[in-house]
Amino acid sequence: MSENTFEFKYEKKVLPQKVFNLGLTLLIVGLIGIIIGFIVNSARTSFNLVILMSWLASIGIGSLFFIGIEYLTGAVWSVPFRRVAEINSAIIWVLPFLIIPILLNIHSLYHWTHTEAVQTDAILKHKSPYLNESFFYIRIIIILVIWYLFYFLFNNNSRQQDNNPNQNFTRKNITVSAIFMPIFAITLTIFAIDWLMSLEPHWYSTIFGVYYFAGTFLAALGAFTFASILLNENGFLAEGLGQDHYYSMGALLFAFTNFWAYIAFSQFMLIWYANLPEETFWYIMRGTGSWLYFSIGLIFVKFIVPYILLLPQPAKMDPKRLKIAAIWILFAHYYDLYWIIMPTYSKNSLPLSWFEIATLIFGIGILVCSFYIFSKRTNLIPIGDPKLKRGLEFHL
Amino acid sequence: MESRKLYAIGALFNDPNKLVKLAKKIVEQGYKNWDVHSSFPIHGLPKIMRLKWSPLGYVALILGLTGTTFGLFLTWWTMSVDYPLIIGGKPWFSFPAFVPVLFELTVLLASVGTAIVMLFIIFKFPNNRHPLHDTDYLKKVSSDNCGLIIEAKDKKFNYDEIKSLFSQFEPDSIIDIYYQEEETSYKPKVFDWKFIVFLIVVAILTSAIGYLFNNVILYLPPFDFMMNQHKLNPQEASTFFNDGFGMRKPVPGTVARGEAFYPFKGKPDEAGTKLINPLLPSKENLELGKSKYNTFCSPCHGWRGEGDSRLNGQFPNPPSLHSEKVRNWSDGRIYHVIVEGQNIMPSYSKQLTEKERWAIVLYIRALQRSLNAKQEDVQ
Amino acid sequence: MNQIDYTIEPQIIEGNPTQSQVNDAIAKPLETKPTWKYYLALGISVSMLLTGAICLGYTFYYGLGLWGINQPIGWAFDIVNFVFWVGIGHAGTLISAILFLFRQKWRTGIARFAEAMTIFAVMTAGLFPLIHTGRPWLDGYLFPLPNQHHLWVNFTSPLIWDVFAVSTYLTVSFVFWYIGLIPDLAILRDRTKSKVKKIIYSIFSLGWRHSNTHWHHYEMIYLVLAGFATPLVLSVHTIVSFDFAVSILPGWHTTIFPPYFVAGAVFSGFAMVQNVLIVIRKIFDLEHIITLDILEKMNKVMLATGMMVGYAYGMEFFIAWYSGNPLESFVFINRAFGNYAWAYWIMVSCNVIFTQLFWIKKIRRSIIPMFIIGVLVNVGMWFERFVIVVTTTSRDFLPTSWDYFKPTLYDIGILIGSFGLFFTLVILFIRALPVVSISEVKAILPNSQPKHH
Repeated sequence: MSENTFEFKYEKKVLPQKVFNLGLTLLIVGLIGIIIGFIVNSARTSFNLVILMSWLASIGIGSLFFIGIEYLTGAVWSVPFRRVAEINSAIIWVLPFLIIPILLNIHSLYHWTHTEAVQTDAILKHKSPYLNESFFYIRIIIILVIWYLFYFLFNNNSRQQDNNPNQNFTRKNITVSAIFMPIFAITLTIFAIDWLMSLEPHWYSTIFGVYYFAGTFLAALGAFTFASILLNENGFLAEGLGQDHYYSMGALLFAFTNFWAYIAFSQFMLIWYANLPEETFWYIMRGTGSWLYFSIGLIFVKFIVPYILLLPQPAKMDPKRLKIAAIWILFAHYYDLYWIIMPTYSKNSLPLSWFEIATLIFGIGILVCSFYIFSKRTNLIPIGDPKLKRGLEFHL
Repeated sequence: MESRKLYAIGALFNDPNKLVKLAKKIVEQGYKNWDVHSSFPIHGLPKIMRLKWSPLGYVALILGLTGTTFGLFLTWWTMSVDYPLIIGGKPWFSFPAFVPVLFELTVLLASVGTAIVMLFIIFKFPNNRHPLHDTDYLKKVSSDNCGLIIEAKDKKFNYDEIKSLFSQFEPDSIIDIYYQEEETSYKPKVFDWKFIVFLIVVAILTSAIGYLFNNVILYLPPFDFMMNQHKLNPQEASTFFNDGFGMRKPVPGTVARGEAFYPFKGKPDEAGTKLINPLLPSKENLELGKSKYNTFCSPCHGWRGEGDSRLNGQFPNPPSLHSEKVRNWSDGRIYHVIVEGQNIMPSYSKQLTEKERWAIVLYIRALQRSLNAKQEDVQ
Repeated sequence: MNQIDYTIEPQIIEGNPTQSQVNDAIAKPLETKPTWKYYLALGISVSMLLTGAICLGYTFYYGLGLWGINQPIGWAFDIVNFVFWVGIGHAGTLISAILFLFRQKWRTGIARFAEAMTIFAVMTAGLFPLIHTGRPWLDGYLFPLPNQHHLWVNFTSPLIWDVFAVSTYLTVSFVFWYIGLIPDLAILRDRTKSKVKKIIYSIFSLGWRHSNTHWHHYEMIYLVLAGFATPLVLSVHTIVSFDFAVSILPGWHTTIFPPYFVAGAVFSGFAMVQNVLIVIRKIFDLEHIITLDILEKMNKVMLATGMMVGYAYGMEFFIAWYSGNPLESFVFINRAFGNYAWAYWIMVSCNVIFTQLFWIKKIRRSIIPMFIIGVLVNVGMWFERFVIVVTTTSRDFLPTSWDYFKPTLYDIGILIGSFGLFFTLVILFIRALPVVSISEVKAILPNSQPKHH
């Protein structure tokens, strides 16, 4: 009973070399920009790298979360696309290479790393058992190790199944997913507090972990949807995947766009209403100078535009519109992270020039290259998965 | 049995696959008035039946936006126009605080409205007189089968042809569905006497309940606890005080806060020479004087101070304020009368503050001037 | 233990019944005479309801002074019960709307019952703000009606948002539930033999005739209503959490409250649905429709939401320390070790610790342990609201006014009465209307749908 009798004829196709060339070009151009950036203004470049690092981490860890959810809920529509999420999640291997240059410049990023400033500040002194450099490094290492461990478990089981279609691998991954969920919640929250919230070490918000999670999952879904549709349209996946599968992706994107808006509004509303000075200054920073327009823009970029794009039912099945919405949402998360991180660097005006553009180009380059390299190693469809047949035949 | 007419021919199936095949065939043959019945929705059938995309999504969108707009108008108008209140230091129109209400109104109108549109406008419900009701066909659909009918009013309707078409698809049974003309075409009359009696009874009952609640029940305990508290209201008698008055006078020899001791008690002439009106005849002061005069003075002195009392002789009429004597009085002299009273007129020092008294004096001057205008006033 | 085969779609209804067997099984409670057990259950719940009614009557007559509230604890059992019951209602909409949107077909067997429970729970909940005003006959002023005083309600007040949220929630849940009932009422109409019942079913089924041109719109409106009910259910408990969180009281003002309250609401609601379903499937022989698999899935949801609640407890504690705000840290230390520590530890053990037993498959799939855990969850969630409402106010900014809340007989009577009201409505419902959606169950029977072409 546990053996999979379904035979799926799959011929592995490799992405064209020009994809890699494009990615490599972007990567090198971006890298040159960043190196010059470090020479010209290392603080600003470090801030940009934090945005990039947390964006890529979002895509990677959000994809792992997506895989876990698929296993736990027994979803079938996403099975033919699961490899896309697995390949996306491989981006977390890049994180150390971004974290090291950031750590070298940590003093220009995080106010709480200045021990002499902490000594004169009662609140920072109170926080120093948590916010100190050595514990910060330990947390980074632990979190990354945990993420790598789960990445390895998920992917290993899934890939082994390709050659040996045994349902036990699915069962193993279901167990792994169940254990992963609470650990994911805790590590992601600590990650968000450490890298993003502690940029303003006096500020605090209990919902912040959930806020970062909402953006994380949206970014991962955006990357997943975009890559899946692109691959499917160009015939890298299987026959028969279409509207009904796209509808599921569109519905998820739409649902989590609303979820993000809900969490963002809750956080803003409560702080605005209670009007306590120890909390409001974070929003006031984002409402002064040109930041005000950027903040209003966030509402449009991250909520209203994708909401309108995805609201009509036919739009969720239309691959063209879905691709636009997915890529939009992916970069809306970048916008969101910029909104969280950059006001600490520049209080009154919007820092926007070649520093920022180079970082973004570098990031896209990394994503494309990583996708190419990791997609080469595996089948693009989990051919041994017991749910694959149902997934291919999925109808609404 | 003559009134029975053929409504449609129905075919009942146990296997939905057969039904879908038949439905495809019927579409091919170009029948218009046909329908499929099943006690649960059959997937993929709307496409086969070539039904139009349901407009309910757009209905919901429009109704939802109406709800949002209405909510926005309601919150804006009540909170920043009609009854502006500053709460928690927030501006009158504090949008984030209105979002919950806007959201709820959107959802309320959209969901309830869409349901109403579907049931009562698109489906034209309630409709218990449709020919299909109470037929074996519908009963079987309700329990075990799914069925398909072609109505007799279809242009291509041909009894034998359809029968043979149906039997090609091996249905479990084929049923002729009849209906009675007078039953389905029955329309309820508005001016039926039963209905009118019913309306009257409802009207009487609601007004009786309304009257009972508003005029009787709300004056019974515990609803009247707020009205009957252990305290004295103005003008009420009291058994506690010897003089029986609920309202008390100030303790003798005390001066209220903000008031000065009045040094000219019993010295009207001295008051007339020494007191000077501190107020200027500004519009504001005259308005104040007018309102206070109309409240406290005009019942006896008349609206224009002509001594035309509105008390219908219950008290002797006072003299006119336009006499030579009063016109020649100084402001202080009039002020003294207000403070101390004169003849039958009592003191008004308890009712009026100093400023209000002087404002009344100003107003009396204005009245005097208006009735005895000089030439230069006209210019 | 046999393992699940992932290559085939899991069967939701056991035993492969035919369509008319589904009809018979679900309509059975409506067509048979109730046993003495039914009357016993009804008797118990009605006497609980009467107890509450008497206490409420006294409260109406003499006022809120009969309750245990004092200065500074102005909110106590009334608000605790309100939040508790609104929370119970959330599971219903989650099952009927959110799981519908996520196409979780296992919801079919329990959706109708869960929706009905939502309505009853929200009705029970709605009672508490009304009596909490002290003069419930003046509650009409809670709505923005034009009146002779030219007064309007204060739209910036979270208490007014509550009025809108709860009444909208009740209305929309009712519409959703009724729309779902129409086809079932039509089925009942066509099978009943009693004349009176037939008239009643005819009136309420509005003349539904199973037409597929109607089903086409019907499926659309179901999607639309589910689409609206999903954000609505989030908004309702969010707004309830705003009642606390927009204030500046430490312990109430914290940004995680909205999602935390929603997770807690789903948590307790699932526990309640699970408890009542266990009883109903046993009494009415619906074990093949409300299967053990469904109950196991509900237990998994409880495990997940229980951990979300645990996450929120942890986050609150961590940020209370991290903020460096002495008022915040005082409140949380006081919760765990202060005068109400007993309530706090009941809450933590019931909500976070005991639910961890659901990691074990055997416990997830055996009736008695899961029933006990379900009860404990509800106890824990009731105490969670108690901890939030009472501990925070009992230690306010002014130490001289610190006080301890003790419920009086009337508080407890009204609490019992709320359970009585809820269960009376539930018990009447299961005899009056089909507890499982007939048409939805039929639609997922193995041979009811045509094969795809």
